[in-house]
Amino acid sequence: MNTETSIEQLLRWRLAQAEADAPPAPRAARLLALSRPWWESWPEQFQSLVERLGKIQIAFGHAMAEPQPARVGHPVPALLVRPVETVETSVRVLYLDVRDGRLRFRFQSEKPFGSEQKSLDVTFVCEKSQSPIATAQASLSVDNEYRLDAVISEQLSRAWEQLRVTDRMPFRLILRTE
Amino acid sequence: MHFVWFWTFWHWSKEGFRRGSLLRKPLHGIGSHWDEWFSHEASASDLQAIEEAGKTESTQRKFIAWMIRCWARENDWPTPDMVSRFVLGQLASVPPFDKWQALESYRTSYGLTGISAIVLEAESAGNAADVRPVQALLLPADGASEIVPDGFQAGSNELETVRCAARSLLRGKGLLIFLALWAVGGHRPYSRRLRLGLGLAWLAVIGSILFLVLGPEPGEWLIPWSATMLALWSGLVLLAVTVAAWQGVRAWRQGISWSRLLERSQVRMRMPGGLTLQGESAGLPFCLNTLLALGRAPRSTRPSWLWQRVIHGLRSEAETWAATGVVTAAGYLKPVVLEAKLRACLNHPGIQDVLTPHQRDGGQPAVERIADAIASTAGLDAPITPFVSGTRFGFAAEKRALRNHACRHVAASLMAFGKLADKWQVGASIVALITSMIMVMALPDLRSILRPHPAPVAVEPGSPSPYDLWVSLDTDHPEYFSAVLESSYWSNRRAEVRRYGGVIPSVRAEIHLHRLVGRAAANDENGTIWIERRRRFLNREYLPGERVGRYSIAYLTHIGRE
Repeated sequence: MNTETSIEQLLRWRLAQAEADAPPAPRAARLLALSRPWWESWPEQFQSLVERLGKIQIAFGHAMAEPQPARVGHPVPALLVRPVETVETSVRVLYLDVRDGRLRFRFQSEKPFGSEQKSLDVTFVCEKSQSPIATAQASLSVDNEYRLDAVISEQLSRAWEQLRVTDRMPFRLILRTE
Repeated sequence: MHFVWFWTFWHWSKEGFRRGSLLRKPLHGIGSHWDEWFSHEASASDLQAIEEAGKTESTQRKFIAWMIRCWARENDWPTPDMVSRFVLGQLASVPPFDKWQALESYRTSYGLTGISAIVLEAESAGNAADVRPVQALLLPADGASEIVPDGFQAGSNELETVRCAARSLLRGKGLLIFLALWAVGGHRPYSRRLRLGLGLAWLAVIGSILFLVLGPEPGEWLIPWSATMLALWSGLVLLAVTVAAWQGVRAWRQGISWSRLLERSQVRMRMPGGLTLQGESAGLPFCLNTLLALGRAPRSTRPSWLWQRVIHGLRSEAETWAATGVVTAAGYLKPVVLEAKLRACLNHPGIQDVLTPHQRDGGQPAVERIADAIASTAGLDAPITPFVSGTRFGFAAEKRALRNHACRHVAASLMAFGKLADKWQVGASIVALITSMIMVMALPDLRSILRPHPAPVAVEPGSPSPYDLWVSLDTDHPEYFSAVLESSYWSNRRAEVRRYGGVIPSVRAEIHLHRLVGRAAANDENGTIWIERRRRFLNREYLPGERVGRYSIAYLTHIGRE
């Protein structure tokens, strides 16, 4: 063992070796691409999903013999996008709270998902303009319910502040599995 | 105040529902509401207090006890015990309660017993695991009354049919069928001594009838004997009718009360396994568990004896009973695939009784056949033991005992649970019915013995023929009178009074006049006609009763002609 090499030299040698082994730093363009939302990265896929989402028609004709539960809410059309298939569904909004620029949202699919999804990437698509307005990660909670807590824009926050769970939602959802 | 953090959460939940940020009522969505509150809304002091409450199993148990004894009762719910079980069950699976040891039992069960359903897993030939425990809870309704599946998926129409069947049993046609089944052959709320006494009394009535029909002439004992028999029979019928009517009315009133509770409630039907039900054969156990949940609700008054028996049976023996059958809204049971389900029950060590629809391939013979098949294959499946010289093996696989109760209606299954079916009572009812029919047939006869009809008066018409004597009487009960001719000129005769039609209709006795040998024609008006009462019981005629009229031949032959 060579004892004449100083600690400093040894550290420099180790640093040089680590730099040589490390992958190259991503380019700025790559970093920009990663920070972009998915609909900007794959606009064609988003467009086709939005078109399909827009075609989902959900309307109830109330012809019940007995009164329905006091609150049923309006189902929100949703697309569940899996690697192998895309399923049309609808979700029930269980909790909606917009405060201090944060959205707390809880929902449950009307039809149970075939397999349990621990988390979902939720994209809010404007009902009118069919443009994406927000995206967030939802995690699985009790009884196959999903909840998300996300920061939203001030404009959106102002628009949704008065929204109640029983109102018709001004958005549709694209639910993407990991 | 204890557990302030829970009250804080509860008020946040109520306020959230009022404000419109929560869809479900605070109680019905308590699990997910807690999850939201605990994740985002709880303050640091709340979190600290929650951590303190869950520190040891002892502190956790204190919280559970407080929930059951205080919190649930302070909210003025009609079924606080079931509400607290539901809330604990919901909270048990969300943080931080999902780590609480004391809530372990609430994660899989509401801690209540229920009638098991036999739901076969796909391609199962009938395993013990196919017998699935079912528990039902009553919660205040969230809007309309409904049955909500918990732990499985089922069509809302199927569960609505179950609810309708339960309602029919409480206040509709189902209740009438239940009461009719009980009235015909159901155990009565009598003590053993009273039962024995009533049996002897019915035998006494039967003996009296036989004595009056076949026995010796009772003479002057006829009236006291008849009166005693009639009083005894009337008393027995009155008692039977009063008891049946009283129990029926009480059962109906209880049913109305429970039906109202059902209308105001949401029934949470829990069946573990996460199955999506295909077919409706779990309808019968769901219906019975709904009734059991209603029976568990606190009552301000004592329930009817009938419902008490049924609910007691459901509560005490639920663990050993399983049921299968498609139930209609009126409560009738439709056939299902049975063989695999009976096999599942036979393979389950805890099941001793099974309720099935009444169908051709079912019943106790089917159970015996499958039990024999299982017992014979059990010997073949026995593990091979190394042979020891001189040892001889005898395979004696024990045959499982399983009682099958085949029913056409859910009401019949209530009879089975309440142990109300009584073969002796069926026999007694048949005997009482036949006896009563005989007594009803004999009532006019008894009436004429005990309260004789008014004595009739001779009226026209008289006989148009000189060879006949007509004794026309103004009575509506000719069968209880006869006319007797006593004469030294005419041969004595007795004639029954009858209702005659023809050219001259009247109620009369016709006596053919037959002159005695050697009598002069001048004496042809010699003789007296007596009107006598006839005493009879069914087809037996006793010696004549009192004489209630006396007329001369001259009077009767000239009546109506002057």
